[in-house]
Amino acid sequence: MGKGIYVQELPGIGKRYDVDLGSNTQRISVVVRRDGTRDLYVFAAGKDDPVAVIEMSEEQARKVGALLAGTYFSE
Amino acid sequence: MHADLVGFGALVLIAGLLARAGRRINLPTVPFFMLAGILLGPGTPGPVLVAHPEDLSLLASLGLILLLFHLGVEFPVDQVLGSGKRLFVAAGSYIGLNVGAGLLFGFALGWGGYEAFVIAGALGISSSAIVTKLLIEFRRLANAETPVILGIIVIEDLFLALYLALLSPLLSGAGSAGELVLRIGLSFAYLVVLFAVARFGARLVGKVIDSNEDELLAILMVGLVVLVAGVSAEIGVSDAIGALMIGLVIARTPLRERVERLVLPLRDVFAAVFFLVFGLTIDVGDFGSVALPVLLAVLMTVVTNVVAGLIAGRLFGLNQRGAANVGLTVLGRGEFSLILATLAIAAGLDDRLGPFIALYVLVLAVTSPLLAANSRYLARIIPDRLLHASWRYVREETISTACTHLDRINITESDADACPQCVDSGDDWVQLRMCLTCGAVGCCSDSVNNHAEEHYRQTGHPLIRSLEEGEDWRYCYIDGALVREPMGATRE
Repeated sequence: MGKGIYVQELPGIGKRYDVDLGSNTQRISVVVRRDGTRDLYVFAAGKDDPVAVIEMSEEQARKVGALLAGTYFSE
Repeated sequence: MHADLVGFGALVLIAGLLARAGRRINLPTVPFFMLAGILLGPGTPGPVLVAHPEDLSLLASLGLILLLFHLGVEFPVDQVLGSGKRLFVAAGSYIGLNVGAGLLFGFALGWGGYEAFVIAGALGISSSAIVTKLLIEFRRLANAETPVILGIIVIEDLFLALYLALLSPLLSGAGSAGELVLRIGLSFAYLVVLFAVARFGARLVGKVIDSNEDELLAILMVGLVVLVAGVSAEIGVSDAIGALMIGLVIARTPLRERVERLVLPLRDVFAAVFFLVFGLTIDVGDFGSVALPVLLAVLMTVVTNVVAGLIAGRLFGLNQRGAANVGLTVLGRGEFSLILATLAIAAGLDDRLGPFIALYVLVLAVTSPLLAANSRYLARIIPDRLLHASWRYVREETISTACTHLDRINITESDADACPQCVDSGDDWVQLRMCLTCGAVGCCSDSVNNHAEEHYRQTGHPLIRSLEEGEDWRYCYIDGALVREPMGATRE
């Protein structure tokens, strides 16, 4: 795993990846469930509960991932 | 035949609609399938969609078999074995407390010895499906107690296998004590054989059902599972356990992921039918006579769960909030309780068991999400001395394991007993905190100077711990949350 990404096993659900954004105001965790569903946990500074949780199917996650990676794609 | 199809279709549709309405307010689905069966079955006044539940018995057993098969296939063997002794102690005490109390409760009811064993399992074993859904819905996947909860329910699934192996020979109506021992021995020997197959023969079994085409794999899989379940039932071990074990075997083959994907929709449909059919056999008029025992059983389950949560909290160094979350989240009861009830009905045990377990599952289905959502109120009243550490300021807060600054920890101990800056200026302080990056000691946010936070602002060192006697919590200024190393840390 790359530097700044931390893995936590969640038995029966899947794995959680905590991403170090090097930022003091936001951080994200991505849960990859065994059925392919992704949960994107978004935390803001000074809050112990996530400010947003986005549930995505594998397909949707790929689209978002492609956008984030800067890969152009058209539908 | 025609009329049956209409009634059955309408029943499944209504059950699905009911469950969907329940999901809108985050209630679990299993009780609603059962409820649809109860309301529209022959035991309740009003419309009857299916008058003869026994006509559906083959579909219902298919549901039971697929439910347990799927459980076996997705059982995370490696994650469980790798999670350490502490988890087994926590899960063991959860199971011991809940099943033990259930057994005592069963005997106290006086319905009979076998009935007590069924009640023990139905009250003691929580529903993996309900618990997992709660954790996802309550957005608690980043909490420190979540891996503990998941570990406990997974080990409970394993316990279920052993419990079924014990229970099915008991319920098979052995004539003498010797015969009973023989049957239990046979049951466990069969388990050992299937474990051996899982360990050494998985590849061979995989070859039997292997196909590149999903269509064929699905058909071969269902055939094999039903066959193994049937053979298991023939030799006096329950079909449920045979299905679970063959699931564990398949899980060790390369087919695992495809099988998991293929069996899921089948399981969902037929398991719903299983819960429906169970509901159909329930006479709503019987609820009155079991209402009081159910109420007592629910209260007892809540108490034993909270106690087990405290034990887990102590073992894993959780605070009040974490311990309360463990106890109140693992409270959900569902599919396993209904499986045990079905076994009991099939074995001709006391008639009250069916309605008793049905009502128990219904009541907990509504109360457990409510209780789990409001765990912070329980956290407020848990005294410090029950947990490993005292948490004067932080007992109600969530502990997160999703902090990405834990690699900045260089130093964790200090014997300092004063805030040096306060000593210089002649001020007082309330409590002491230590920077985990450089070991600097400062006073807490309730002190006049709050030197600990000042240190963070000056240096950017994110993490502190409490230096108070008996406290070991850590706090991250950047994340604004209590933090801890994940359990069985695999930080890479």
